[in-house]
Amino acid sequence: MAKKVSAMDIYKLLPKTNCKKCGQPSCMAFATKLLEKEATVDQCPILNTPKFEENKKKIIELVSPPVKEVWFGNDERKAVMGGDEVMHRYELAFFNPTPIGIDISDELSEEEIKNRAKEIENFVFERTGEQLKLDFIVIRNASGDVEKFKKAIEIVEKETKMPICIASLNPEIIKEALKVVKSKPMVYAATKDTLNDFIKAIKELKKENDVVLVLSSNNVKDLKNMAAKCLANGIEDLVLEPHTYPENIAETLDLNTMIRRSAIEREDKYLGFPILNLPINAYYYALNNECPISVFFEDKEVVAKMFEATIANTLMNRYADALIMHGTDIWELMPILTLRQCIYTDPRKPQAVEPGLYPIGNPDENSPVILTTNFSLTFYTVTGDFEKDNVTCWLLVMDTGGRAVDVSVAGGQYNGENAKKLIEETGIAEKVNHRIIILPALAAPARGDIEDKTGWTCVVGTRDSSQVGDFLRKNWDRILKEWREKNKAN
Amino acid sequence: MIYNDKLGDVMDLNALIKIIEKVGRIEIENITITADELIINIPSAPPVVIPQTPSIKEKLADEGIIEIKDVPELDWEPPIEKYPGYIREVQFGRSKEEGGRGKVVKIGGQRALYRFEEPQPNPPVVTFDIFDMPMPGLPKPVREFFQDVMEDPCEWAKKCVKEFGADMITIHHVSTDPKIKDTSPKEAAKLMEDLLQAVDVPFVIGGSGNPQKDPLVLEACAEAAEGDRCLLASANLELDYKKIVDAAMKYDHNVLAWSIMDPNMARDLNRKLIEAGLDPNKIVMDPTTCALGYGIEFSINAMVRLRLNGLKGDELVNMPMSSGTTNAIGAREAWMNNPEWGPREYRLPLWEITTGITMMMCGVDLFMMLNPISVKTLKEIGRTLTTKPGEVKLNTNNYEWIVAKA
Repeated sequence: MAKKVSAMDIYKLLPKTNCKKCGQPSCMAFATKLLEKEATVDQCPILNTPKFEENKKKIIELVSPPVKEVWFGNDERKAVMGGDEVMHRYELAFFNPTPIGIDISDELSEEEIKNRAKEIENFVFERTGEQLKLDFIVIRNASGDVEKFKKAIEIVEKETKMPICIASLNPEIIKEALKVVKSKPMVYAATKDTLNDFIKAIKELKKENDVVLVLSSNNVKDLKNMAAKCLANGIEDLVLEPHTYPENIAETLDLNTMIRRSAIEREDKYLGFPILNLPINAYYYALNNECPISVFFEDKEVVAKMFEATIANTLMNRYADALIMHGTDIWELMPILTLRQCIYTDPRKPQAVEPGLYPIGNPDENSPVILTTNFSLTFYTVTGDFEKDNVTCWLLVMDTGGRAVDVSVAGGQYNGENAKKLIEETGIAEKVNHRIIILPALAAPARGDIEDKTGWTCVVGTRDSSQVGDFLRKNWDRILKEWREKNKAN
Repeated sequence: MIYNDKLGDVMDLNALIKIIEKVGRIEIENITITADELIINIPSAPPVVIPQTPSIKEKLADEGIIEIKDVPELDWEPPIEKYPGYIREVQFGRSKEEGGRGKVVKIGGQRALYRFEEPQPNPPVVTFDIFDMPMPGLPKPVREFFQDVMEDPCEWAKKCVKEFGADMITIHHVSTDPKIKDTSPKEAAKLMEDLLQAVDVPFVIGGSGNPQKDPLVLEACAEAAEGDRCLLASANLELDYKKIVDAAMKYDHNVLAWSIMDPNMARDLNRKLIEAGLDPNKIVMDPTTCALGYGIEFSINAMVRLRLNGLKGDELVNMPMSSGTTNAIGAREAWMNNPEWGPREYRLPLWEITTGITMMMCGVDLFMMLNPISVKTLKEIGRTLTTKPGEVKLNTNNYEWIVAKA
């Protein structure tokens, strides 16, 4: 982390009344939450009074990340980029999942523009209970015609709620387009040669705070100087776009890394802006050039989409804060959205699901009861495996604070007391006519405790949830029969 | 200054202009100017002209406002770090001069995190997974490449090398599992000999995953491949790792140290292997690759930390790393036949590529993979990482997409 700010530094600037109105037990606790980005300055009512204006400013300065958080869009939907403080996610977390934008050419017909806009807006891929979506639309001035460009923008803004990026290298055309844009757009892009004209256009329209300006160069020093000039002219919502080279992506990875390291480790505030990359370049590259995987597929478009996804994922792993892409096929976007979801989970928070009773398949009173934990990775792996293998059962999900089976057994959260509570709360005893719980093999050490506290019979099952189907097919009837015989005798 | 009776002692020029604007014209009568010297200060801006048409005035005013503030040129240096440590280099195979079969592959050897800090010595290496028996359970998008050779592991290996340019081959002796065919270690060793004859690339030797049987199988195969610097996969805390270490030392092989996504566990295991007599330069770490969407973020954290600690000088974790990238094809999104997700012959390689690329960005040097499409893509991206900045001519026009057709 760049800045060595402590909670004490922040505490000194707080009212120190411990009024609890922020939801924290004390001002010191609030200071810690602010530092960890788990609370915002606005949650303190006293800081918002004129007397504390100066302190509030200082706190914001202290807690603001070395990579500026920049957004575009409208009140209903925003694309938020940047806000990061660390080079590696394990050090804290990465914030603001990389917004992904899809292009629309202004040469398409009105109908085609509408359809593509709708397609982008409605795209959704659901996994682990979350709806993964696309984030913005890039309207590109392919025609070179300002009227067509304006028309395309109007159609998209009328048709969807998506944030938009408008793309042209011509500052005059951008200026005309900005007159019709209703939301706060991202403007792609000013180069070293056109920067003055872009600044002038934005200032003439008095839109310094109403646009996000993309600065484009493959030279980091130039990007830095361009950013400095924009800041001096009151344009502060900036995005840096080092060029995306599909034929040697290492060049782009270097640029991304150097920019991010300058901002975070060298505290270079002129490079402390989100980074935009262009996997779309890889798409068109593969369409028009030979590419390593061309031999495997006849359809050039398939190769292009596969290559585009590869480049997108490579860049997502190295500091891309926003991506512009072309393909909208689900098979192409699935791995990208999944990777984004994974990288941007907060490593500080347990990945937990709601504890409780989950019927899998259509279980009845004779179905097995299986006990797992509420660690989301465990939960989704288990339910995934069960679904895959047509397992029918009652799945009890115990609150282990989001810990995996082995971890929670060792840590004592996977225990008899918790199991008893879970059985009572879910009313599982009324749903089945047996008293058998199947434990994962990793939970074998907790068996005695659970049997003692619950009075249910525990059976140690398999090590991996993928083997459960097989295990049940081979053993369940026998287990049930044996249990019944034993309990009849009693 | 202008002295005037009516407006008090002093009237400035702006006031005078205001009056002029209101009335259009002023005739000055009966005034006496008593002065030795008459000074009229005319402010430089805004230009004092009597307006003729309003539009001209506005235009001039606007040009005055939109002045672009220039800033002095700022300097920037590439942020290059110095690292006290290094990553060990591990060699697979032996050259003919060393008395081996010829092909040599090296991994590791980095002295910096990024190529802009220092050129990276060895490109990442992909090793093809093959099995000692037909694997009907392999997903169709993989099976279709190898359907014709699955009965014969030697042909399978040859196909990987000849058709798909394999750098290395990983043979999984799955049939040795007591629950599968319980093939004897001796039979596994025989196959090992045949494989070494069939292709000239180095080998990773894997067992079946049975902790009782694996040390025996690996030991027998290590003997059969004596001096060939294979990678014995794997030593872990659930089996008799001492036996594997002994075999590695005796027959000159490397050892894959496999641990569960925790840098401390990886470190402990390395220490135990070294204490058991293994040369630390013969260890490759495998901190477990969770498939994309099935915990890959845990693998990211573990691998990045291991690589960073290695470069920082921790000599118990500065070994190159390996990834069982093949795990990715077990993800339901990769193999499942689900029309809503599109064709799985596209999905499966992409899932494996994404998993591999992510691990590569964390510093992994060796990839165990299955699908030829994924292998080719990963090798290509990996190769770029060892190019020197500026070495590859770049032709991409970064802005062509703006005007691209369709």
